[in-house]
Amino acid sequence: MRSLTLDHASFWYPATASPALRDVSLEVVQGEVVALVGALGAGASTLLLVAADLAPRVIGGRLTGTVARRDRSGIVLPTPWTQASGMAFTVWDEVAFGPANLGWPAHEIARQVDRALERLELVPLASRDPVTLSGGELQRVIIAAILAMDPGLVLFDEPAAELDAEGARTLWRLIRLLASEGKAVLLATSALDAIPDVADRVVWLEDGAVRAVGTPDLLADVAACDAGLGTSVATVWRASGLPPPYPLTVAHAVQRWR
Amino acid sequence: MALTPVLHLDGVSFSYGAVPALENLSFSIAPGERVALLGRNGAGKSTVVRLVAGLERPDQGTVWVGDWDARDCAPEQLARRVGSMFQHADQQLFASTVRADVSFGPRALGLGEREVERRTDDALEDLDLTPHAAHHPYDLPPAFRQLAALAGALALEPALLVLDEPTIGLDRALRARVTRALLERSAAGVALLVITHDLTFAAETLERGLVLDRGRLARDEQLAGLVGDATRLDPLGLVPPPIAALSAALDLPGRPVRAAEVARELARVARGRPVP
Repeated sequence: MRSLTLDHASFWYPATASPALRDVSLEVVQGEVVALVGALGAGASTLLLVAADLAPRVIGGRLTGTVARRDRSGIVLPTPWTQASGMAFTVWDEVAFGPANLGWPAHEIARQVDRALERLELVPLASRDPVTLSGGELQRVIIAAILAMDPGLVLFDEPAAELDAEGARTLWRLIRLLASEGKAVLLATSALDAIPDVADRVVWLEDGAVRAVGTPDLLADVAACDAGLGTSVATVWRASGLPPPYPLTVAHAVQRWR
Repeated sequence: MALTPVLHLDGVSFSYGAVPALENLSFSIAPGERVALLGRNGAGKSTVVRLVAGLERPDQGTVWVGDWDARDCAPEQLARRVGSMFQHADQQLFASTVRADVSFGPRALGLGEREVERRTDDALEDLDLTPHAAHHPYDLPPAFRQLAALAGALALEPALLVLDEPTIGLDRALRARVTRALLERSAAGVALLVITHDLTFAAETLERGLVLDRGRLARDEQLAGLVGDATRLDPLGLVPPPIAALSAALDLPGRPVRAAEVARELARVARGRPVP
């Protein structure tokens, strides 16, 4: 079932003449992970703000076309430290802040918080004061805080930016798990090499418009490599002058090389 | 004759209250050296930046910035030798245009207006920020604000740049721009100490890797030998970047870890193979 539908959506930030999104039509269904890729400024973050109903409702601007959401959404912003409530003195309370504001009964809040902490491997930090955490630890706390509200549509903007390799691996696995539980996931990431393991579909944005939609194999296309959106392996293959099709991952390359 | 290190940590320990962050950490960085500071979240990497910038004082040991003991220096004095970009640098801006923000540092050093302008222009140009110079920083996406913070550090033209995750959220073209800007500065003698989780960027840009593990120095060696070695990286919470993994998986001669070198070796080896 569709969780999010954009139909010919265009969006202008306040006091700007040219749109940040141009005539974007896109569906995200439950159980699916869709990755948005593009150069910086291509519109991925804007699309997530529109999908989250933060643009234009909270930040202003103008939207044309339609945006339909079936599920409550939760968004992890590229600046997660700005999402901390600042009102909690433990990680547990920080993660409980959102669910408590949804007016849930205490036992349901506790169940969701405990589960989110476990999934982000934060149980050992549950009683720490959030201000004492490292950047990557805080990023995991914010992700847990969003997931504890049990959104049906989960929006991630550069969620692995501050995570170490283990944290990133845990997050990508968790995103697959969320999809297997029926959540719809829309993700903007510059971690192109993670996409083949995480995403079902890739949407390539250019200058606010959808340039191409496809499976992660899209990231081994000649055009994607030339636009700086190929995986590392595909890009180095292209740079070597070897003929296409290019391998997407190290495993593909090993097969090709034999 | 050995050059005086631009940075020397001598037995440095530091705790946040009861939470230990660094234990007996010692290392030196020579002029022009390009050093990556690696390790898990919470290993103590950002604490090193804060100590070198003078925002924290070590509990034990000494942070030497050239011949200055950082303990005796205010942050604004240290800024004459160290250009810092902090974690969450997109929030380190405060002026109403990108240009005004980048020029704040050199102006605060008391330089003449012409020199302030030159340094500001160079730093903006180095990071392709000139088209955004007149924009309000908070009208730009976080990744551009972060680049503006990096430009502010470059504009100080310090002996040492200490950068905490300078490539977060950047696309490949801008990461390459940061690499080029840093290589140019390093060729002119500036030392680099760069915290990053992006080992692809580290392999392209830097040469020596320091790995922290729970506040202690676990490795200090050339990145070229380290980043392709999954067995040694794994206990430190690190994973080889795809290019280095590819080089190892295909057993390319010399096991290069930089994209241009891997591409060259791929082409060379492929030419020498029989056509299937």
